[in-house]
Amino acid sequence: MVSVKLDKVSKYFGKVKAVDDVTLYIRDGEFVTLLGPSGCGKTTTLLMIAGIYKPTKGRIYFDDIDVTDIPPKDRNVGMVFQSYALYPHMTVYNNIAFPLKLKKLPKNEIDKKVREVAKLLKIDHLLDRKPSQLSGGQQQRVALARALVKEPDVLLLDEPLSNLDALLRVYMRAELKRLQKTLGITAIYVTHDQIEALSMSDRIVVMNNGRIQQTGTPDEIYSKPSNTFVASFIGTPPMNLIPCRVIDGKTLECLGFKYVFKDEIAEKILNEHKEVYFGIRPEDIVITNKDNGDAEATILVVEPIGKDLVITIQLEEEHTIKILAPPSINLKPGDKIYLKFKKEKIHLFDKKTGQRIEYIIKKGEE
Amino acid sequence: MSKKYIDIKKIKKRILLEKIAKALIVLFVAVIPSIPIWLMYLGLIAQAFSSKVTLGIIPNGFTLKNWRFLWSTIQMGLKKYPNIWPITINSLYLALGTALLVTFVAGLAGYALSRMEFRGRTKMMEFILALHAFPSIVLLIALFVLLNKLGLYGRGFITLTGVMITKAALEAPMGAWIMKGFFDNVPWDIEWAALVDGCNRLTAWRKVILPLVLPGFAAVAVFAFLAGWAEFIMAFTFIREDRWWPLSVMIYHVIGEYKFVDWGFLAALSLFYALPTIIFFVFSQKLLLRIYVGGVKG
Amino acid sequence: MPSLKNLPRKILPWIFLAPLLFMIILFWLVPVGLTVFLSFTNVTYKNFVKFVHGVEGAFNFTLENFHKLLGGDPYIGEIAKITLIYVGSVLAINAFYSLILSISIVYLVKNEYLSTFMRVVWLLPRITPAVVYGFLWIWLISPDTGPFYQFFASLGVAPGSWLLEKPYSQILMIVVNGYVGASFGMIIYTSAIKSIPEDLIRAAKVDGASDLQIIRSIILPLLKWPMLFVISWQTLSLIASYEQILILWGSYGATKAAGTTVFAIYAWFKAFEMGEYAYGATVSLVLVAIGIVLILLYFKIFGFHKLMQPSKIEV
Repeated sequence: MVSVKLDKVSKYFGKVKAVDDVTLYIRDGEFVTLLGPSGCGKTTTLLMIAGIYKPTKGRIYFDDIDVTDIPPKDRNVGMVFQSYALYPHMTVYNNIAFPLKLKKLPKNEIDKKVREVAKLLKIDHLLDRKPSQLSGGQQQRVALARALVKEPDVLLLDEPLSNLDALLRVYMRAELKRLQKTLGITAIYVTHDQIEALSMSDRIVVMNNGRIQQTGTPDEIYSKPSNTFVASFIGTPPMNLIPCRVIDGKTLECLGFKYVFKDEIAEKILNEHKEVYFGIRPEDIVITNKDNGDAEATILVVEPIGKDLVITIQLEEEHTIKILAPPSINLKPGDKIYLKFKKEKIHLFDKKTGQRIEYIIKKGEE
Repeated sequence: MSKKYIDIKKIKKRILLEKIAKALIVLFVAVIPSIPIWLMYLGLIAQAFSSKVTLGIIPNGFTLKNWRFLWSTIQMGLKKYPNIWPITINSLYLALGTALLVTFVAGLAGYALSRMEFRGRTKMMEFILALHAFPSIVLLIALFVLLNKLGLYGRGFITLTGVMITKAALEAPMGAWIMKGFFDNVPWDIEWAALVDGCNRLTAWRKVILPLVLPGFAAVAVFAFLAGWAEFIMAFTFIREDRWWPLSVMIYHVIGEYKFVDWGFLAALSLFYALPTIIFFVFSQKLLLRIYVGGVKG
Repeated sequence: MPSLKNLPRKILPWIFLAPLLFMIILFWLVPVGLTVFLSFTNVTYKNFVKFVHGVEGAFNFTLENFHKLLGGDPYIGEIAKITLIYVGSVLAINAFYSLILSISIVYLVKNEYLSTFMRVVWLLPRITPAVVYGFLWIWLISPDTGPFYQFFASLGVAPGSWLLEKPYSQILMIVVNGYVGASFGMIIYTSAIKSIPEDLIRAAKVDGASDLQIIRSIILPLLKWPMLFVISWQTLSLIASYEQILILWGSYGATKAAGTTVFAIYAWFKAFEMGEYAYGATVSLVLVAIGIVLILLYFKIFGFHKLMQPSKIEV
């Protein structure tokens, strides 16, 4: 197993910067997810690690070895593609055996390894079939088996679950994670699905427009988004971002309400910014009474989503935010409510740069 | 970490060898065998515009003398060939007529095959595909007899028209296939949407479908035009009077007389004749390629 | 036109199809019938005019043509042999050579512009009018200025005439038609190669395959159907193709000396050079029959839907 290091890697297609100055270190045995919307450069990054694309700039290292100019053949990586990319003219057995045959392993050894990995993935009864005779889930396992059979140093997964139905996807998430930990393999996983990323990864790399937005554990990404992109990309529904003007070091004039910090550190930092976004996650807003409320709002829509209600409310004019509430609450569109923001869950972002404003709330402040 | 790829030098050497092997394959498979093609076309242009040519393709001394057929009659000894311009008009007539007929017939049939339900529709499509595969040239003797029976043989302009109609008939099944393909690509939803938006079937056709299949008509027309323009065997076999020859037949006869005598003149004449084809190909290469694929696609 | 939609729906399609059907009947079906009919007559240049004008007793029905075809004509054996060599060799070029050509151009040449340019060059022989293409070959092989002739002469291969000396003339016949045919295969194969999903190639690379191994284990097996299609389709058109031979050699005497008399052109010479219309039709009839049988066979083996999609890769 190896560690993977990307040092200022860029990939341009003509004038388009698909990946722009990405630096990243992935530890041996770590499960890292590249997360971002489609076209953000995450698959291109993966293909560069695989050796299919050559970076326009920058170097890639496996452990200490510079593999930038080394073809995929010699990198000992395994890869699972979104389309699975099973060879349609080969049986499942030959699909899995293909990488080993290319390594010119002896026949009996190939046979042993193919059967082993097939058993591990519970597809040993399908070895004689052609890919077209398999279900989506089975094809996915074959693709995984083909990637694992050569005992790769790095396992690359490009949206491997996106073509599966919802139930199977949830099951495979756990299965993949378990497999990766058992084999101790370094895994790089590409997805646009934040739930996959949050539930499977040791660390998440959020990308947009070819650049890394934030790298961190799922918890860091969720609770300390480093800019407005990450804040609005993660979470369902995503974080509410309310534009505010800084009146003085303590007071924000936001759309529909005024918010006063009692914290001096906040004051100091806020002095450096003129306009900010007031970020608050839907689940960190509590419905309360008039006296305790930070803001007043009108209910627009109430949508049940299983165990909770998503309530869309209007703060002022056109600006709406979403809050989560227990279904026991009896509310209907048009009702007036009062909102309380959980103090320690408030995020601030500079409006111009979108960057997070770090401040610390002293405990027991409230 | 596996030691497999520690030997970077060895890997680089292997990559280099692979690159060389690939380059050699391309060289021997695709480049060297294409040399005769290069020679042909470079030679054609060089010969047509120069008074002397060395090594077959290197021009020497620019001249337009080879193009004299454009303003004077071609004469070889006592043999006089007809003026080039009426002959060119014959070729244009043949090509345009074929294009018009094929487009008309294929447009109607393609629409019916793609959009209408009738009994035996599948059988009809199979039949047309079969015709398209069938080498119609073997029917030449029977077509000759047929033209005679219809009184279209040996009658100058009428024979030329006969050749045109026959050519169109032989190209029509393929044209119908191509048009069917284009109509198939117009989603029903669009037609329905037009109907919902207040068109009747006819205005829907004119305003929505026609613009979408216009490239198809253009493609079929260009293709049929080029087929008519290049037509040789039927015209050669059926048209007796040199006044009504198309360019292809005249050039064939002129080549017979002038080869080894005046390559420059022959090259100029050939270039003159091939020019419309080359121009069409340059301007509609994508369309034509689609037809070549679509043509066999049926 | 507006009244069209009021017509019974059953008739309308047939109105649309009528012009095509008329053409098909008059110029395809009637000639097939005529070919059969002529084969059983003794129509030659002597009684042709009377036959055309329907004069009574102008011709007789006879089986003589078939006797001739099956034994009486001493050249048939040789012609069949030449046809076989011709079809076989050009087919090999069209199906196999153009396969490696397409892979070279589309897969090994990574530069998009260069690859397109090479394709266009290889398409030139197909799009050039046959008479011009034929002329260019006559020039290439002419002993006075032809570069092709001179190149081979410098290698010591210098026949008095590429046109008239066997086997050079036969090689010429194959090469001339091969260049035209290669582009047919190329068109089908290149579009088939381009339709191979990119992920498949990437997966093979990750699995450790080099470009040449990818060609062998992935691309070639996937091109099985397009190859079968090219072979089937080209067989049909090759058995009947003689345009280039007619342009290059022009007369029965010339093709006989050059050993380039294929079946199809033999029928042409019989009818239009020697006036033996009935016998020419009989020779054609063999080709008509082969054509029909092959087409029926293809429909049976491949099925209609597969024949419609020659470049489809089965993934």
